[in-house]
Amino acid sequence: MTKVNKSMEKKFEFFSTSKDLTQFRDSLKSLLAAAGLGEKKEGEIILAVDEALTNIVRHAYGHDTGLITVMFFDYEDRIEIFIRDSGKLFDPTKMPPPELPPKKPGGLGIYFIQKLMDKVVYQSVPPAVNELQLTKFKS
Amino acid sequence: MKISHRQHDKVEVFELDGEVDFHSSPELREKLQFSVQKQADRILVSLKKVRYIDSSGLATFVEALQKVKRYNGLLVLSELAPAVRSVFEIAKLDSVFALAQSQEEAYALFAQNQKR
Repeated sequence: MTKVNKSMEKKFEFFSTSKDLTQFRDSLKSLLAAAGLGEKKEGEIILAVDEALTNIVRHAYGHDTGLITVMFFDYEDRIEIFIRDSGKLFDPTKMPPPELPPKKPGGLGIYFIQKLMDKVVYQSVPPAVNELQLTKFKS
Repeated sequence: MKISHRQHDKVEVFELDGEVDFHSSPELREKLQFSVQKQADRILVSLKKVRYIDSSGLATFVEALQKVKRYNGLLVLSELAPAVRSVFEIAKLDSVFALAQSQEEAYALFAQNQKR
């Protein structure tokens, strides 16, 4: 992918609690509003990122809390968000799509991420870090 | 998120104000489950003041719906904002839930359900 001008970059670090997640979402809303994508795309990114973070809060660290790092990049043509955690290694891109409509509660988070973002890439970064790259094109 | 609850015309009415997410869903689940355990056959949840919902919120509603259906009750969600409705649509849950545009429409659905 050709890199185009990066107008803004921001890093967040917070703990894997539901309260921190809600607070981070407010910060993300402000950043996206400044990026000028429009309400629909803003809402899609917020939901996708929220789902990715919720998965970490629910599953990555078991009963402990751990650190989550989010890097936000606002490029001329796209938004890129990298989410890193050091919890249990897990590649969400390998999950099969759920049955729709769902017949039981749960199981939609990863589907939303894939559906709402234009590109979803997972990699395991040594020594034992999950990294999820979410991309949304501006047009 | 704030959850207010009242009974009106034999309907358990919940009015939500805020965001239905992983953080707030447990409280909503507890309150809905209380009504479900009583086998309330008419449950209305107004989402008029809900500006955000994620899959945790959807899961809470799906669980309540499944239990309500078992005793032939009716759960109606009303006044979904477009952004909230679109989340239901992505999951194809708009075809599963009774969605009303107003509380009046919801009461009409309850009346229809009663006649069956």
